[in-house]
Amino acid sequence: MQIKEEKQGDVMIVTIDDHLDTASAPGFETRLLGMIDEGERKVLIDCGPLEYVNSAGLKVFLLAAKKLETLGGQFILCALAPSVLMIFEMIGFTRIMKIAATREDAQRSFRAA
Amino acid sequence: MHEGSITIRIAADVKEIERLNRLVRQFGELHDVPSRTLYAVNLALDELVTNVVLYGFEDPAGREVLINIATAGSELTASVADDGKEFNPLTVKTPDLNAGLAERDIGGLGIHLVRSLMDHVNYQREDAKNVLTVRKRIR
Repeated sequence: MQIKEEKQGDVMIVTIDDHLDTASAPGFETRLLGMIDEGERKVLIDCGPLEYVNSAGLKVFLLAAKKLETLGGQFILCALAPSVLMIFEMIGFTRIMKIAATREDAQRSFRAA
Repeated sequence: MHEGSITIRIAADVKEIERLNRLVRQFGELHDVPSRTLYAVNLALDELVTNVVLYGFEDPAGREVLINIATAGSELTASVADDGKEFNPLTVKTPDLNAGLAERDIGGLGIHLVRSLMDHVNYQREDAKNVLTVRKRIR
C-alpha cells in the first residue's frame, strides 16, 4: 500500500491508497503508530483515494485515534467517499472521530482546537 | 438482477481474499446485482472469510474455504463454509457504539459490520463444518 506523508506546519498529512484491507493494514498501522511514537501530535488522514476499507483498516484508525487522545493530540480524517462514510457511520466512528469534508476544513479544526 | 449461482473455493490465505473479491464483483456484474448490494456483500464476505483464514485453523496450510453466492428473486444469499475449529462468530459481543473513544473496544468490528450490512445472518454447524449464511434483499 502506498502511503504519502507531508508535513504542513505542525500537521502531518497522510494520504492513503484506494484499498485498506487485511493485507495492507499491518504496514499502515506500523507507519501511523510509529509517527505518533516519533512525536507527531496532529495527524490528518486524507481518505480521498480510499474506496474500500474493512475492519482491519478501521481498527488502525481506532488505535491511532485512541493513542492521540491519550497523548493530548488530535486525529482528523477528511475527504471520505460516501461508501466509506457509510461504513464509518455503521461502526459508530462518526461519533468518536473527527471527520472533515476537506483538507482545508480539517486544517481549520486543528487551528481552532 | 438475474438468477444464478457461483461456488468459489479458495486456499485459507489472506492473499486469496482479493481474488475472491474480484470473482464476487464479476459475478455481480454478470447478474446485474446493484453496485451498493455488491459492495455490501463483498465487504461482508471479506470479514467472514478473513476471520476463518486467520483464526479457523491451527495450521491453515493446504486448507480451504468454500464460498457460495446465489441470486434468486429479489434476494442475494451467500455462504462461507470451512472445516476448521467450531466457531460461531455471532457469539462475538457487539461493540458498544455509544462508548467514548477511550472506552471503545478494538474487537468485534468485523462481525458488527456483517450484521449491519446484511438483512439476515445465520450460523450452523453441520457435518463438522462451520456454515455462515448471509442474505441481502435488493431494494
